[in-house]
Amino acid sequence: MWFRHNKVLLIKTLLLVVMLLMVMSGLTGLGCIRGLQPIGWSGGIVADGTLFVGSAEGKLVAINIADGSRQWSEPLKLPKSTGGFGCAAPSAGGGCAQAPAGVAIYGTPAVSDCLVYLGGYNGKIYAFNSSSLETRWIYPREESLEPIVSGPAVAQGMVYIASSDGKLYALDAETGDKEWEFQTGDKIWSTPVIDGDVLFIGSFDNKLYALSITDGSKKWEFETEGAIAATPLAYDNKVYIGSFDRYLYALDATDGSLRWKFMGGNWFWAKPLVYDDVIYAGCLDGKVYALNARSGDKIAEFDLGSPISSSPVVVNGSVIFASRQGVIYALDTNNSELRQLVDIEKEVYGPLSASEGIVYIHTQDLKLHLVDVNTGTKLKTISLKSSE
Amino acid sequence: MNPWELIILQPVINVLIVLTHYLFDNFGLAIIALTIIVRVITLPLTLKQLRATKAMQTLQPKIAELQQKYAKDRQRLAQEQMRLYKESGVSATGCLVPMLVQMPIWIALFQSILLSLAVAPESLLNLSRYLYSWPIVYSMLPLSSNFLGLNLAEGNFVLAILVGGTMWLQQKMVTPVTTDARQQAQSRMMLWMMPLMFGFFCLTFPSGLALYWLVSNIISIVIQYYVTGWGALAPSVAKQPAGKDKKYLRRITQVEQASSEAPVEADIVVPSSEAGDYGRSGDKSQERRGGYPPSLGAIRRRPGRGGSHRPKRR
Repeated sequence: MWFRHNKVLLIKTLLLVVMLLMVMSGLTGLGCIRGLQPIGWSGGIVADGTLFVGSAEGKLVAINIADGSRQWSEPLKLPKSTGGFGCAAPSAGGGCAQAPAGVAIYGTPAVSDCLVYLGGYNGKIYAFNSSSLETRWIYPREESLEPIVSGPAVAQGMVYIASSDGKLYALDAETGDKEWEFQTGDKIWSTPVIDGDVLFIGSFDNKLYALSITDGSKKWEFETEGAIAATPLAYDNKVYIGSFDRYLYALDATDGSLRWKFMGGNWFWAKPLVYDDVIYAGCLDGKVYALNARSGDKIAEFDLGSPISSSPVVVNGSVIFASRQGVIYALDTNNSELRQLVDIEKEVYGPLSASEGIVYIHTQDLKLHLVDVNTGTKLKTISLKSSE
Repeated sequence: MNPWELIILQPVINVLIVLTHYLFDNFGLAIIALTIIVRVITLPLTLKQLRATKAMQTLQPKIAELQQKYAKDRQRLAQEQMRLYKESGVSATGCLVPMLVQMPIWIALFQSILLSLAVAPESLLNLSRYLYSWPIVYSMLPLSSNFLGLNLAEGNFVLAILVGGTMWLQQKMVTPVTTDARQQAQSRMMLWMMPLMFGFFCLTFPSGLALYWLVSNIISIVIQYYVTGWGALAPSVAKQPAGKDKKYLRRITQVEQASSEAPVEADIVVPSSEAGDYGRSGDKSQERRGGYPPSLGAIRRRPGRGGSHRPKRR
């Protein structure tokens, strides 16, 4: 009865609601596509013939690189609230039409003594059994830390991983018990790098810290003009770190004094690579800079056409880069010749990994692409979806 | 980068970041400042839109009359409506065009705030491609999302209430006073639907957007007050028409005068002495006449045509 009398009004109301929802989803569609939702960009690590990678479903995936068979862990658990549209304060990931509903995993897993370590955007650190993928321990057991974008580093029976709460955590690798923590002035997305008994980590407070791995005491710090999200590179008693001020810095690993700095056209986000005393640094301006590791002099630059946020790998004397647009390049270190291997036509954000002449590229569409560097051909694509 | 991003989105994002730098590294203040700047720049368009809307509302009783009269002749109804708009100098597009022109600016502001908040690692990474090569811009990022104890990257209940409340006030101010049951129902629906929906959006989207909506609503209320007064919020306190409003009212009066002088062509006779009362939506005497302006209270139908809905043949 009411409907009959107010039919027009009801239809108008429904139209208004639909229109508003369309406008809002149209506006935020941009966000969902362009990255308002945490999806994750975990790289892979190969150990004992198995590649471990974190998937956008929020699972650790183990792939037998000989036959391509896959194994999944239990999904990381979402925290309590994720927001109505999934676009507000994404605490874990999922919720967006384009994003898989799982905890985002950004850091590349670390493997040591039959355990695989991983940090989730849900603010938890996990240790899995490398053969069964059963969970060995979780830190913290109750509650959660702030979202974790950093990857773990393992040394001397300890796991080191940082969180967006600005703290670096040192945990017992066997039990997950916290040994010590180190507080910085802002979020940490950088993955710690260990060189001997010193750990290097960058923070959004613009600083690079050198810490003792035994007790977390600070050895030195170096302040740049911008936030640091990149992972440092330690090589030949120097530390190389990219900053949001567009500089790549070379610091003395002993005292943190500046050796040289080089300015790119945008942020240095990816971890640089060193080969034969040459630093290869991918920049978000779409260029790869080849720099003399000692002096910082530019040897060459190569334009890949789209931003480079994934860390490169070395395979058979060639440095392999992936551009954001999914074009894979091989840079011959002997003659500085750049050649395109393959265009996988999918966005690449995370670091590359390699084993036995094959490069593994994790793309944003829950797929792992295998490219043979010698032949320059794409061997196959492995789905990381547990349902496929 | 597509033209939209290059021409609209990129400049707005960079301005937001620079404003943040100069406003004590406070992104909340930058949102407020940019919202005010954009509202000031688009003020002429907003005023034009509000005045056209107001004039359109003034014509509503006459349009209702025409709709009643030509209920069975759509073509004639359209012709008569167009004639009425044309003669009274009110353009049906006058309300829409300024709004459409402003839409890209609002969308750009909306998207820029979402992007600048960089709530997920992917969004911060993507933000880098929108940056100008100004040292300030690069070093400012990522922006701090803390503002007065609020996390602008998360939904916030208090801001949601404030946005809903201000939107209700604004909606109430523009709601025309009418006794027509259907129009009343529509007005009621609009009055509650928009605030509730936007309140819901504020809970689910980063509250940086809620801050933008809140400031924008407050500015709208101020502008609305300047143009129409409190409207339906305080019907007894009618605001005298401003200079530019008088332009429309004068035209409407002229149309009505012309109608009264040409009884053969026009079906609505308007006493010219009362025509000046249009626009006083809160006039109590108007309410006594069934919500119509005084002029329409004296509608006189020609003999033999009252109550007939047959299409008029020329």
